[in-house]
Amino acid sequence: MDGVTIAWWVWPLALFAVSFAIGAVAVLAGVGGGVLFVPIVGGFFPFHLDFVRGAGLLLALCGALSAGPALLRHGLVSLRLALPLALAGSVTSIGGAMLGLALPTDVLQVALGATILGIVALMGFGRSQDAAPPKPDGLAAALGMHGVYHDAAIGRDVQWCVHRTPAGLLAFGGIGILAGMFGLGAGWANVPVLNLLMGAPLKLSVGTSGFLLSVIDTSAAWIYLHRGAVLPMLVAPSIIGVMLGAKVGVRLLRMAPARIVRRVVLVLLLIAGLRALLKGLGLWN
Amino acid sequence: MELTYARWLSWGSRIALAVLAVTFFLYMLGLYQPLIPLERLPQVWSLSVDEFVAATGAPTGWRWLGLAGSGDYANLIGVAMLALVTVLCYLRVLPLLVRSGERALALVAAVQIVVLVAAASGLASALLAGGH
Repeated sequence: MDGVTIAWWVWPLALFAVSFAIGAVAVLAGVGGGVLFVPIVGGFFPFHLDFVRGAGLLLALCGALSAGPALLRHGLVSLRLALPLALAGSVTSIGGAMLGLALPTDVLQVALGATILGIVALMGFGRSQDAAPPKPDGLAAALGMHGVYHDAAIGRDVQWCVHRTPAGLLAFGGIGILAGMFGLGAGWANVPVLNLLMGAPLKLSVGTSGFLLSVIDTSAAWIYLHRGAVLPMLVAPSIIGVMLGAKVGVRLLRMAPARIVRRVVLVLLLIAGLRALLKGLGLWN
Repeated sequence: MELTYARWLSWGSRIALAVLAVTFFLYMLGLYQPLIPLERLPQVWSLSVDEFVAATGAPTGWRWLGLAGSGDYANLIGVAMLALVTVLCYLRVLPLLVRSGERALALVAAVQIVVLVAAASGLASALLAGGH
Protein backbone atom coordinates (compact mmCIF):
# COMPACT_ATOMS: atom_id res chain seq x y z
CA MET A 1 0.00 0.00 0.00
CA ASP A 2 1.23 3.47 -0.77
CA GLY A 3 0.81 5.75 2.27
CA VAL A 4 0.55 8.89 0.09
CA THR A 5 -2.68 7.71 -1.56
CA ILE A 6 -4.46 6.98 1.72
CA ALA A 7 -6.07 9.76 3.76
CA TRP A 8 -3.79 10.78 6.63
CA TRP A 9 -6.38 10.03 9.33
CA VAL A 10 -6.56 6.34 8.39
CA TRP A 11 -3.07 5.73 9.80
CA PRO A 12 -3.54 7.08 13.33
CA LEU A 13 -6.86 5.22 13.51
CA ALA A 14 -5.20 1.98 12.35
CA LEU A 15 -2.34 2.66 14.74
CA PHE A 16 -4.77 3.13 17.62
CA ALA A 17 -6.54 -0.15 16.77
CA VAL A 18 -3.28 -2.11 16.47
CA SER A 19 -1.88 -0.53 19.64
CA PHE A 20 -5.09 -1.37 21.50
CA ALA A 21 -4.74 -5.02 20.42
CA ILE A 22 -1.04 -5.02 21.34
CA GLY A 23 -1.87 -3.62 24.78
CA ALA A 24 -4.43 -6.36 25.46
CA VAL A 25 -2.34 -9.21 24.04
CA ALA A 26 0.85 -8.04 25.79
CA VAL A 27 -0.83 -8.27 29.20
CA LEU A 28 -2.22 -11.72 28.41
CA ALA A 29 1.14 -12.98 27.17
CA GLY A 30 3.15 -11.34 29.96
CA VAL A 31 5.37 -9.27 27.66
CA GLY A 32 5.92 -5.52 27.34
CA GLY A 33 4.02 -3.65 24.64
CA GLY A 34 7.20 -2.19 23.14
CA VAL A 35 8.58 -5.55 22.10
CA LEU A 36 5.49 -6.17 19.94
CA PHE A 37 4.97 -2.57 18.85
CA VAL A 38 8.34 -1.82 17.23
CA PRO A 39 8.60 -4.85 14.90
CA ILE A 40 4.89 -4.87 14.00
CA VAL A 41 4.44 -1.13 13.39
CA GLY A 42 7.96 -0.82 11.95
CA GLY A 43 7.27 -3.68 9.56
CA PHE A 44 3.72 -2.99 8.43
CA PHE A 45 3.12 0.78 8.78
CA PRO A 46 4.57 3.54 6.60
CA PHE A 47 6.37 5.39 9.44
CA HIS A 48 10.16 5.47 9.41
CA LEU A 49 11.81 3.18 11.93
CA ASP A 50 13.33 6.21 13.73
CA PHE A 51 9.86 7.41 14.75
CA VAL A 52 8.60 3.89 15.50
CA ARG A 53 11.51 3.29 17.87
CA GLY A 54 10.90 6.64 19.58
CA ALA A 55 7.25 5.75 20.05
CA GLY A 56 8.13 2.22 21.19
CA LEU A 57 10.36 3.60 23.94
CA LEU A 58 7.70 6.01 25.15
CA LEU A 59 5.09 3.30 25.05
CA ALA A 60 7.26 0.97 27.15
CA LEU A 61 7.99 3.89 29.47
CA CYS A 62 4.27 4.64 29.95
CA GLY A 63 3.52 1.01 30.73
CA ALA A 64 6.32 0.89 33.29
CA LEU A 65 5.31 4.21 34.89
CA SER A 66 1.68 3.13 35.13
CA ALA A 67 2.45 -0.26 36.67
CA GLY A 68 5.19 1.13 38.96
CA PRO A 69 3.12 2.53 41.83
CA ALA A 70 1.15 -0.70 42.41
CA LEU A 71 4.31 -2.83 42.19
CA LEU A 72 6.10 -0.55 44.66
CA ARG A 73 3.14 -0.50 47.08
CA HIS A 74 2.87 -4.30 47.05
CA GLY A 75 6.56 -4.66 47.83
CA LEU A 76 7.33 -6.29 44.48
CA VAL A 77 10.04 -3.74 43.64
CA SER A 78 13.19 -3.43 45.67
CA LEU A 79 14.93 -0.09 45.22
CA ARG A 80 18.03 -1.69 46.78
CA LEU A 81 18.11 -4.16 43.93
CA ALA A 82 16.98 -1.76 41.21
CA LEU A 83 19.01 1.42 41.73
CA PRO A 84 22.49 0.09 40.81
CA LEU A 85 21.20 -1.95 37.86
CA ALA A 86 19.08 0.96 36.57
CA LEU A 87 22.15 3.19 36.58
CA ALA A 88 24.10 0.71 34.44
CA GLY A 89 21.21 0.34 32.00
CA SER A 90 20.35 4.02 31.73
CA VAL A 91 23.93 5.10 30.95
CA THR A 92 24.24 2.57 28.13
CA SER A 93 20.71 3.22 26.83
CA ILE A 94 21.83 6.75 25.96
CA GLY A 95 24.68 5.30 23.90
CA GLY A 96 22.28 2.75 22.38
CA ALA A 97 19.86 5.46 21.32
CA MET A 98 22.65 7.53 19.76
CA LEU A 99 23.97 4.45 17.96
CA GLY A 100 20.51 3.50 16.72
CA LEU A 101 19.93 6.98 15.31
CA ALA A 102 23.32 6.94 13.59
CA LEU A 103 23.12 3.53 11.91
CA PRO A 104 21.73 3.09 8.38
CA THR A 105 18.09 1.94 8.42
CA ASP A 106 18.72 -1.37 6.64
CA VAL A 107 21.47 -2.33 9.10
CA LEU A 108 19.14 -1.44 11.94
CA GLN A 109 16.31 -3.50 10.42
CA VAL A 110 18.56 -6.55 10.17
CA ALA A 111 19.77 -6.09 13.76
CA LEU A 112 16.19 -5.57 14.95
CA GLY A 113 15.03 -8.71 13.13
CA ALA A 114 17.87 -10.76 14.63
CA THR A 115 17.12 -9.39 18.11
CA ILE A 116 13.40 -10.16 17.82
CA LEU A 117 14.17 -13.71 16.67
CA GLY A 118 16.53 -14.02 19.66
CA ILE A 119 13.71 -12.86 21.94
CA VAL A 120 11.41 -15.49 20.42
CA ALA A 121 14.00 -18.15 21.25
CA LEU A 122 14.42 -16.77 24.78
CA MET A 123 10.66 -16.67 25.38
CA GLY A 124 10.08 -20.03 23.77
CA PHE A 125 12.84 -21.99 25.48
CA GLY A 126 13.88 -19.93 28.53
CA ARG A 127 12.64 -21.09 31.92
CA SER A 128 12.49 -18.94 35.04
CA GLN A 129 12.85 -20.52 38.45
CA ASP A 130 12.80 -19.92 42.16
CA ALA A 131 15.67 -21.55 43.98
CA ALA A 132 17.14 -21.11 47.46
CA PRO A 133 18.68 -17.64 48.10
CA PRO A 134 22.24 -17.57 46.72
CA LYS A 135 25.33 -16.56 48.68
CA PRO A 136 25.76 -12.81 48.04
CA ASP A 137 28.96 -11.57 46.41
CA GLY A 138 31.04 -8.71 47.80
CA LEU A 139 29.51 -6.00 45.62
CA ALA A 140 25.94 -7.08 46.42
CA ALA A 141 26.81 -7.01 50.12
CA ALA A 142 28.43 -3.57 49.84
CA LEU A 143 25.38 -2.16 48.02
CA GLY A 144 22.97 -3.84 50.46
CA MET A 145 21.25 -5.79 47.68
CA HIS A 146 19.21 -8.05 49.93
CA GLY A 147 15.92 -7.85 51.79
CA VAL A 148 12.55 -9.39 52.52
CA TYR A 149 9.32 -9.21 50.56
CA HIS A 150 5.88 -10.54 51.38
CA ASP A 151 4.58 -13.15 48.95
CA ALA A 152 0.79 -12.94 49.24
CA ALA A 153 0.32 -16.17 47.25
CA ILE A 154 2.09 -18.30 49.84
CA GLY A 155 1.22 -15.98 52.74
CA ARG A 156 4.73 -15.51 54.13
CA ASP A 157 7.79 -13.28 53.98
CA VAL A 158 10.55 -14.35 51.60
CA GLN A 159 14.17 -13.46 52.26
CA TRP A 160 16.21 -12.69 49.19
CA CYS A 161 19.71 -11.69 48.17
CA VAL A 162 21.60 -11.75 44.86
CA HIS A 163 24.93 -12.92 43.55
CA ARG A 164 27.00 -12.42 40.36
CA THR A 165 26.42 -8.66 40.70
CA PRO A 166 29.26 -7.57 38.36
CA ALA A 167 27.90 -9.90 35.65
CA GLY A 168 24.39 -8.53 36.33
CA LEU A 169 25.62 -4.95 35.94
CA LEU A 170 27.32 -5.91 32.69
CA ALA A 171 24.16 -7.62 31.46
CA PHE A 172 22.08 -4.53 32.25
CA GLY A 173 24.64 -2.47 30.36
CA GLY A 174 23.91 -4.65 27.32
CA ILE A 175 20.17 -4.47 27.91
CA GLY A 176 20.39 -0.67 28.00
CA ILE A 177 22.12 -0.61 24.62
CA LEU A 178 19.42 -2.81 23.06
CA ALA A 179 16.59 -0.84 24.69
CA GLY A 180 17.97 2.48 23.46
CA MET A 181 18.87 1.22 20.02
CA PHE A 182 15.60 -0.53 19.19
CA GLY A 183 13.09 1.19 21.50
CA LEU A 184 11.87 -2.21 22.61
CA GLY A 185 11.59 -1.91 26.34
CA ALA A 186 13.48 -4.82 27.84
CA GLY A 187 11.29 -6.81 30.23
CA TRP A 188 12.06 -9.90 28.16
CA ALA A 189 15.73 -9.59 29.15
CA ASN A 190 15.42 -8.03 32.63
CA VAL A 191 13.59 -10.93 34.22
CA PRO A 192 16.00 -13.70 33.10
CA VAL A 193 19.00 -11.62 34.19
CA LEU A 194 17.51 -10.83 37.61
CA ASN A 195 16.12 -14.32 38.19
CA LEU A 196 18.43 -16.77 36.43
CA LEU A 197 21.73 -14.87 36.51
CA MET A 198 21.50 -12.97 39.79
CA GLY A 199 19.25 -15.34 41.71
CA ALA A 200 16.50 -12.86 42.71
CA PRO A 201 13.08 -14.48 43.37
CA LEU A 202 10.85 -14.58 40.29
CA LYS A 203 8.10 -12.26 41.58
CA LEU A 204 10.60 -9.69 42.76
CA SER A 205 12.37 -9.98 39.39
CA VAL A 206 9.16 -9.32 37.45
CA GLY A 207 8.21 -6.33 39.63
CA THR A 208 11.70 -4.84 39.66
CA SER A 209 11.94 -5.31 35.89
CA GLY A 210 9.07 -2.86 35.41
CA PHE A 211 10.81 -0.30 37.58
CA LEU A 212 14.08 -0.76 35.71
CA LEU A 213 12.30 -0.14 32.41
CA SER A 214 11.02 3.20 33.67
CA VAL A 215 14.55 4.43 34.38
CA ILE A 216 16.37 2.88 31.41
CA ASP A 217 13.77 4.02 28.88
CA THR A 218 13.62 7.54 30.33
CA SER A 219 17.29 8.20 29.50
CA ALA A 220 16.94 6.92 25.94
CA ALA A 221 13.60 8.70 25.40
CA TRP A 222 15.31 12.08 25.91
CA ILE A 223 17.78 11.29 23.12
CA TYR A 224 14.93 10.57 20.70
CA LEU A 225 13.05 13.66 21.85
CA HIS A 226 16.04 15.92 21.34
CA ARG A 227 16.73 14.50 17.88
CA GLY A 228 13.15 15.21 16.76
CA ALA A 229 12.31 11.49 16.55
CA VAL A 230 9.12 11.80 18.60
CA LEU A 231 6.25 12.26 16.16
CA PRO A 232 3.09 13.32 18.03
CA MET A 233 0.81 11.71 15.43
CA LEU A 234 2.49 8.37 16.09
CA VAL A 235 3.14 8.62 19.81
CA ALA A 236 -0.20 9.76 21.21
CA PRO A 237 -2.55 7.23 19.53
CA SER A 238 -0.06 4.44 20.29
CA ILE A 239 0.21 5.28 23.98
CA ILE A 240 -3.52 5.82 24.41
CA GLY A 241 -4.29 2.62 22.47
CA VAL A 242 -1.86 0.47 24.44
CA MET A 243 -2.97 1.85 27.80
CA LEU A 244 -6.65 1.22 27.04
CA GLY A 245 -5.84 -2.18 25.54
CA ALA A 246 -3.88 -3.14 28.67
CA LYS A 247 -6.93 -2.37 30.82
CA VAL A 248 -9.02 -4.73 28.68
CA GLY A 249 -6.20 -7.29 28.78
CA VAL A 250 -6.19 -7.24 32.58
CA ARG A 251 -9.95 -7.96 32.59
CA LEU A 252 -9.51 -10.79 30.08
CA LEU A 253 -6.63 -12.26 32.05
CA ARG A 254 -8.82 -14.50 34.21
CA MET A 255 -10.63 -16.17 31.32
CA ALA A 256 -8.15 -16.09 28.43
CA PRO A 257 -6.09 -19.22 27.70
CA ALA A 258 -2.70 -17.73 28.59
CA ARG A 259 -0.63 -20.51 26.97
CA ILE A 260 -2.42 -20.14 23.64
CA VAL A 261 -2.12 -16.34 23.74
CA ARG A 262 1.58 -16.67 24.48
CA ARG A 263 2.02 -18.98 21.50
CA VAL A 264 0.13 -16.53 19.26
CA VAL A 265 2.44 -13.75 20.46
CA LEU A 266 5.48 -15.89 19.70
CA VAL A 267 4.19 -16.50 16.16
CA LEU A 268 3.48 -12.75 15.73
CA LEU A 269 6.97 -11.91 16.93
CA LEU A 270 8.45 -14.55 14.64
CA ILE A 271 6.66 -13.06 11.60
CA ALA A 272 7.54 -9.48 12.61
CA GLY A 273 11.16 -10.46 13.29
CA LEU A 274 11.47 -12.21 9.93
CA ARG A 275 9.81 -9.24 8.24
CA ALA A 276 12.35 -6.82 9.80
CA LEU A 277 15.25 -9.10 8.89
CA LEU A 278 14.14 -9.61 5.29
CA LYS A 279 13.21 -5.92 4.91
CA GLY A 280 16.70 -4.96 6.05
CA LEU A 281 18.24 -7.43 3.60
CA GLY A 282 16.07 -5.99 0.81
CA LEU A 283 14.23 -9.31 0.31
CA TRP A 284 10.72 -8.25 1.52
CA ASN A 285 9.89 -4.60 0.83
CA MET B 1 11.02 4.84 50.73
CA GLU B 2 9.27 2.61 48.15
CA LEU B 3 5.90 4.08 49.19
CA THR B 4 7.13 7.65 48.77
CA TYR B 5 8.50 6.80 45.34
CA ALA B 6 5.18 5.12 44.46
CA ARG B 7 3.16 8.20 45.48
CA TRP B 8 5.25 10.58 43.37
CA LEU B 9 5.31 8.18 40.46
CA SER B 10 1.56 7.71 40.56
CA TRP B 11 0.71 11.41 40.54
CA GLY B 12 3.44 12.37 38.09
CA SER B 13 2.54 9.77 35.48
CA ARG B 14 -1.22 10.41 35.81
CA ILE B 15 -0.82 14.14 35.25
CA ALA B 16 1.56 13.59 32.31
CA LEU B 17 -0.77 11.10 30.62
CA ALA B 18 -3.75 13.40 31.13
CA VAL B 19 -1.84 16.29 29.53
CA LEU B 20 -0.85 14.06 26.61
CA ALA B 21 -4.44 12.90 26.06
CA VAL B 22 -5.86 16.45 26.20
CA THR B 23 -3.26 17.96 23.87
CA PHE B 24 -3.74 15.15 21.36
CA PHE B 25 -7.51 15.64 21.48
CA LEU B 26 -7.06 19.36 20.79
CA TYR B 27 -4.60 18.51 17.98
CA MET B 28 -7.16 16.21 16.35
CA LEU B 29 -9.91 18.82 16.70
CA GLY B 30 -7.71 21.26 14.80
CA LEU B 31 -8.21 24.03 17.35
CA TYR B 32 -4.56 25.01 17.16
CA GLN B 33 -2.58 25.35 13.94
CA PRO B 34 0.01 22.55 13.73
CA LEU B 35 3.58 23.25 12.63
CA ILE B 36 3.29 20.45 10.04
CA PRO B 37 -0.12 20.40 8.30
CA LEU B 38 -1.93 17.08 8.84
CA GLU B 39 -2.32 16.52 5.09
CA ARG B 40 1.44 16.80 4.63
CA LEU B 41 2.36 14.23 7.26
CA PRO B 42 2.09 11.13 5.02
CA GLN B 43 4.68 12.66 2.69
CA VAL B 44 7.24 13.09 5.46
CA TRP B 45 6.68 10.45 8.14
CA SER B 46 8.48 7.80 6.08
CA LEU B 47 11.65 9.93 6.00
CA SER B 48 14.49 9.32 8.44
CA VAL B 49 14.53 11.73 11.36
CA ASP B 50 17.32 13.85 9.86
CA GLU B 51 15.53 14.10 6.50
CA PHE B 52 12.26 14.84 8.32
CA VAL B 53 13.81 17.68 10.30
CA ALA B 54 15.37 19.13 7.14
CA ALA B 55 12.10 18.84 5.17
CA THR B 56 9.72 20.22 7.80
CA GLY B 57 11.82 22.50 9.99
CA ALA B 58 10.77 20.33 12.95
CA PRO B 59 12.50 21.40 16.16
CA THR B 60 15.39 19.53 17.77
CA GLY B 61 16.66 19.82 21.35
CA TRP B 62 14.41 21.94 23.54
CA ARG B 63 13.36 24.21 20.64
CA TRP B 64 9.99 22.42 20.56
CA LEU B 65 9.11 24.29 23.75
CA GLY B 66 8.97 27.51 21.74
CA LEU B 67 6.46 25.81 19.43
CA ALA B 68 4.33 24.34 22.21
CA GLY B 69 1.50 26.60 21.12
CA SER B 70 1.17 24.66 17.88
CA GLY B 71 -1.28 21.76 17.73
CA ASP B 72 1.30 19.04 17.08
CA TYR B 73 4.21 20.11 19.28
CA ALA B 74 1.94 20.84 22.25
CA ASN B 75 1.81 17.04 22.57
CA LEU B 76 5.46 17.03 23.55
CA ILE B 77 4.59 18.76 26.83
CA GLY B 78 2.97 15.52 28.05
CA VAL B 79 5.81 13.45 26.58
CA ALA B 80 8.44 15.57 28.36
CA MET B 81 6.47 15.33 31.60
CA LEU B 82 6.46 11.53 31.29
CA ALA B 83 10.21 11.60 30.83
CA LEU B 84 10.69 13.90 33.83
CA VAL B 85 8.68 11.83 36.32
CA THR B 86 11.58 9.48 37.11
CA VAL B 87 14.00 12.35 37.83
CA LEU B 88 11.48 13.90 40.23
CA CYS B 89 11.01 10.58 42.03
CA TYR B 90 14.77 10.15 42.41
CA LEU B 91 15.11 13.72 43.71
CA ARG B 92 12.43 12.92 46.27
CA VAL B 93 14.00 9.69 47.58
CA LEU B 94 17.62 10.91 47.60
CA PRO B 95 17.28 12.81 50.91
CA LEU B 96 15.51 9.79 52.41
CA LEU B 97 18.45 7.56 51.45
CA VAL B 98 20.93 10.06 52.91
CA ARG B 99 18.94 10.39 56.14
CA SER B 100 18.69 6.63 56.59
CA GLY B 101 22.46 6.25 56.25
CA GLU B 102 22.33 4.35 52.94
CA ARG B 103 25.48 6.02 51.63
CA ALA B 104 26.21 3.66 48.75
CA LEU B 105 22.65 3.73 47.43
CA ALA B 106 22.46 7.51 47.93
CA LEU B 107 25.58 7.87 45.79
CA VAL B 108 24.08 5.61 43.11
CA ALA B 109 20.84 7.66 43.16
CA ALA B 110 22.79 10.94 42.94
CA VAL B 111 24.77 9.70 39.92
CA GLN B 112 21.52 8.52 38.33
CA ILE B 113 20.05 12.00 38.73
CA VAL B 114 23.11 13.47 37.03
CA VAL B 115 22.73 10.99 34.14
CA LEU B 116 19.01 11.72 33.73
CA VAL B 117 19.53 15.48 33.89
CA ALA B 118 22.37 15.19 31.35
CA ALA B 119 20.05 13.25 29.03
CA ALA B 120 17.14 15.66 29.55
CA SER B 121 19.25 18.79 29.06
CA GLY B 122 20.73 17.51 25.80
CA LEU B 123 24.20 17.50 27.33
CA ALA B 124 24.57 13.72 26.97
CA SER B 125 23.69 13.88 23.25
CA ALA B 126 26.08 16.78 22.70
CA LEU B 127 28.94 15.05 24.55
CA LEU B 128 28.47 11.74 22.73
CA ALA B 129 28.00 13.42 19.34
CA GLY B 130 31.09 15.50 19.97
CA GLY B 131 33.08 12.34 20.62
CA HIS B 132 32.39 10.99 17.13
